[in-house]
Amino acid sequence: MTHAPATQARAKDAEPRHGPDTPLRPSDPKTRGRRENLAGYLFLSPWIAGFLLLTAGPMAASLYFAFTDYNLFDAPRWIGLDDFSEMFGDPRWRHSVRVTLWYVVVGTPVKLLVALGVALLLAQKRRGQAFYRAAFYAPSLIGASVSVAIVWKAIFSDDAIVDRTQKAFGVDVGGWTGDPDLVIYSLVALTVWQFGAPMVIFLAGLKQVPRELYEAADVDGAGRFRQFWNITLPMISPVLFFNVLLETIHSFQIFSSAYIVGGGAGGNACGPADGSMVYTCYLYVQGFENSRMGLASAMAWMLLVAVALVTAVLFRSQKRWVHYEEGGR
Amino acid sequence: MSTQATDITRAPSPKRARRLPGSLAWHLGSLAVLAVILYPVVWVVGGSFKRSEDVVGSLDLFPADPTVSNYTSLADGIADISVSTFFLNSLFLAVGSVAGILISCSLTAYAFARIRFAGRNLLFTLMIGTLLLPYHVLLIPQYVLFRNLDMINTYTPLLLGKYLATEAFFVFLMVQFMRNLPRELDEAARLDGCGHLRIYWSIVLPLCRPALITSAIFTFINAWNDFMGPLIYLNEPSKYTVSLGLKMFVDQEGLADYGGMIAMSLVALLPVLAFFLAFQRHLIDGMATSGLKG
Amino acid sequence: MQQRKGVERRTVLKAAGASLAVTGLGATATACGGGSGSGDGTVTIRYAWWGAEDRARRINKTIDLFEKKYPKIKVKTDFQPYSDFWKKFNTQASGGNPPDVFQNAIGFLRKYDAKNVLLDLEEQVKAGNLRMEGFRAGLDTFGEIDGKLLGVPVGSNSMALVIDKPVYARAGITPEMGWTWDDFDEAMARVRDRTGRAGDSGMYGVMYLYDLYLRQNGKAFFTEDALGFTESDLTRWWTKAEKGVTSGLFADPKKVAQIKPKSALSAELAGSEFTWDNFTVRYTSEGRSEYGLAPIPTTDGKRTGQYLGSLMLSASRRTEHPAEVARFIDFMVHDPEVARIMGYDRGVPATTAQYAAYRPTDPVNKAIAAYEESLVAADVLEPVTPHPNGADICEAAFLRIGEELGLGKRSVADAVEQFFDESKTALGS
Repeated sequence: MTHAPATQARAKDAEPRHGPDTPLRPSDPKTRGRRENLAGYLFLSPWIAGFLLLTAGPMAASLYFAFTDYNLFDAPRWIGLDDFSEMFGDPRWRHSVRVTLWYVVVGTPVKLLVALGVALLLAQKRRGQAFYRAAFYAPSLIGASVSVAIVWKAIFSDDAIVDRTQKAFGVDVGGWTGDPDLVIYSLVALTVWQFGAPMVIFLAGLKQVPRELYEAADVDGAGRFRQFWNITLPMISPVLFFNVLLETIHSFQIFSSAYIVGGGAGGNACGPADGSMVYTCYLYVQGFENSRMGLASAMAWMLLVAVALVTAVLFRSQKRWVHYEEGGR
Repeated sequence: MSTQATDITRAPSPKRARRLPGSLAWHLGSLAVLAVILYPVVWVVGGSFKRSEDVVGSLDLFPADPTVSNYTSLADGIADISVSTFFLNSLFLAVGSVAGILISCSLTAYAFARIRFAGRNLLFTLMIGTLLLPYHVLLIPQYVLFRNLDMINTYTPLLLGKYLATEAFFVFLMVQFMRNLPRELDEAARLDGCGHLRIYWSIVLPLCRPALITSAIFTFINAWNDFMGPLIYLNEPSKYTVSLGLKMFVDQEGLADYGGMIAMSLVALLPVLAFFLAFQRHLIDGMATSGLKG
Repeated sequence: MQQRKGVERRTVLKAAGASLAVTGLGATATACGGGSGSGDGTVTIRYAWWGAEDRARRINKTIDLFEKKYPKIKVKTDFQPYSDFWKKFNTQASGGNPPDVFQNAIGFLRKYDAKNVLLDLEEQVKAGNLRMEGFRAGLDTFGEIDGKLLGVPVGSNSMALVIDKPVYARAGITPEMGWTWDDFDEAMARVRDRTGRAGDSGMYGVMYLYDLYLRQNGKAFFTEDALGFTESDLTRWWTKAEKGVTSGLFADPKKVAQIKPKSALSAELAGSEFTWDNFTVRYTSEGRSEYGLAPIPTTDGKRTGQYLGSLMLSASRRTEHPAEVARFIDFMVHDPEVARIMGYDRGVPATTAQYAAYRPTDPVNKAIAAYEESLVAADVLEPVTPHPNGADICEAAFLRIGEELGLGKRSVADAVEQFFDESKTALGS
């Protein structure tokens, strides 16, 4: 790679244009504009094809299916809002919404609190910091795998470590994976276990907090908690916002761990008494098990609306609690 | 948490006397977290050497009389399909995905970062919009599409999107990276007679190595771990990926080769863990920058 | 990167066959079969079935045998566990690309007949490619719906009570043909009291058992197009079940849920379990005890309501090779060697030739043969209950809602209402 000095290049600007192969120059804006457009769209063509074929087209199709009765065999039949009214009237659907909301509302804050706590711990420059950071991050990479889901199922079943530990404390509720009310907490535990990814982001945010702020606070005699509350938290609020947004959206879409941890063979993939039937699990059951593609599409659009709403609310709330330093990003 | 906060906000402490207990507490805290993190991993390592009936019930992390029979039973495969078939299939998909993502996402990112064309802002907004789009909205229509194209039970549905830059996250990552490259580079190259393709290939791509490596590793790991895609699209056990092979163990009635399942779970994690050990710096930095620039 | 956008005519694809469907990407990574019709006259047929590893190994052997005998026909298999099988089948069938020949069960005949998926094999019988004689105990008509031959039975099975023999011995119970539900309830209590184990694993979710109970009372689970029982029937059945769970007669549903797919019987959570008789093989390989088959309890001391069920082989109406498929089915149900390979994996062989060819020597399979012989001897076998389109969804709902009842997530009234709601949607009535 040669780094051609910019000054040398500029000298050529004065030269006249002499053919189609001439390098593009700012002095010829029209031609350049056209060529740039062409190049831009050429480079973008795979993305455009993908966007039309795999994103926009399918979204339109999905929206259409949501208003039809479609079993894959017969052509979709327009039924208006029937899918939606069936969905809202279906106790299993409402149950899956409750399970998912509970998972999001409990899992995400706990995960982020743990991530922030450990990030604050690791933010101190001490020996072994890099090692711990790496080790804590690792679960985020493997957490979504079937392997870990299998291990999780074993750890949370009768007589395994969790059951025996809670028994030692006098709590005898049995393994969690067979219990319709507890199985969801084994999934919460699984997501909390993967706190490493948001932790790394918190750590990066913490590093950018200028030391002088704390020094000034020290002079003012502010306590440590006050410093955290008044300096650290506002300064890392952009990454906090990013983490909240990302983790919440992710949580809404949990599938494979719920499918493996809660499920099992024998008909019901959604855990004991639908205990771990998160939204996507029920969507999968309706679409692929019961061949209700129309209904499942309606469900998918409800999910999209929910995620969009949450995103919008979070973005609107930004003004109140997220502080962006001018030019400090 | 507030006590931890106190320490971070002013570390390193100027007072020497406080240093030792503080450091001790720090290490104890870190080790405690580490123990919780590592327990499942150590459990699966130990479990893979236990006899099937002891895997869940016994609390000892490592068995008193370790057996390798779980691993030897893996060699027999499952249902006449060798376990290596699953690994080769996963490897093919993962490598194919990496190639697709690197090419298509970098082309896309180059266009967004370095070319001024009409409609760029609009398209960029659309691209960012897909970043937050739940995959499940596309699940059914894409399935119907690939079914109509008779591509069920092929790897095409699992790979096509990777070659068409539908993974907005990686496009975004690369755009961020390319925007920070000095502009003078391509100005100069352009005046030397290079077109965009040359600039992309010989200047921007090599400079983007860190972003490419990060994307490649994440793509590999995601493809390796992917469960829902193969679950929906693949029918034939000889085409199954490792995730589906593991599911075959889970579903297995009658034989209950629990030990074999645990052994395979561990083996399935090894490529991901190996990648992690080799490239953890790239991964963590990639994660961190994605957060800061978001 | 190869993609086949814009292929409009499915017929072109069909002719090009299976290998073309996995062009490019697929072909490089997997050893896929050849085209369904290549130059030398060799045809490839796709055979799909549900089951697990053991069945896979056996079936692969029978296919080797078949390919040796018919070198011009290649067979490509794929299989899934039961719950996934029908999802995959459904989408393939809806896409016009179902397997040429596949395992089938009674609950799906009408469903897929209504969708025009199943081939009427009668033509092939007439053409001499498929022999429908030599079947045991009326099984030859088992796969007939409205005069069409939609499935050919491969092996018969019947509901039974599988018991943990040592446990029953310790409790001092010997179930005999003609024992009643009162006897059964007493036996459950005795198992619980004397062995400290639940009597049964939770029979309240087993549709096929409730069907037998209804049949003993002159009803059945299904009529031709609807449910054959009322809310109050089911309320009675599930009220009894709920009491059984709370009083420990039936295994703790939480534990049963956890150990899936292992069975509660082999996991020693219960002393017995209602299931199909040919599943005993499974318990033996899964558990440590010795398992036996006991008769179904009766209402009047005589009728068990039982019938011989059967897995079947069906062909797709879309197959391009109906004659080859018929010969394949014929081979699988008549060839004696196939019986020796398959054993009782899919039930007691359906044809007399295969039945005679495989005489089990191990106690488990011997017990299965003896059990079915005892049903014939006791003359309790009756015609099968009809299974309307949607029966499969009702069965899954029955199992799921039964489990929810057992786990205490639903009251009896609630469970009954939910089941009737879902069934009515599924059956379209």
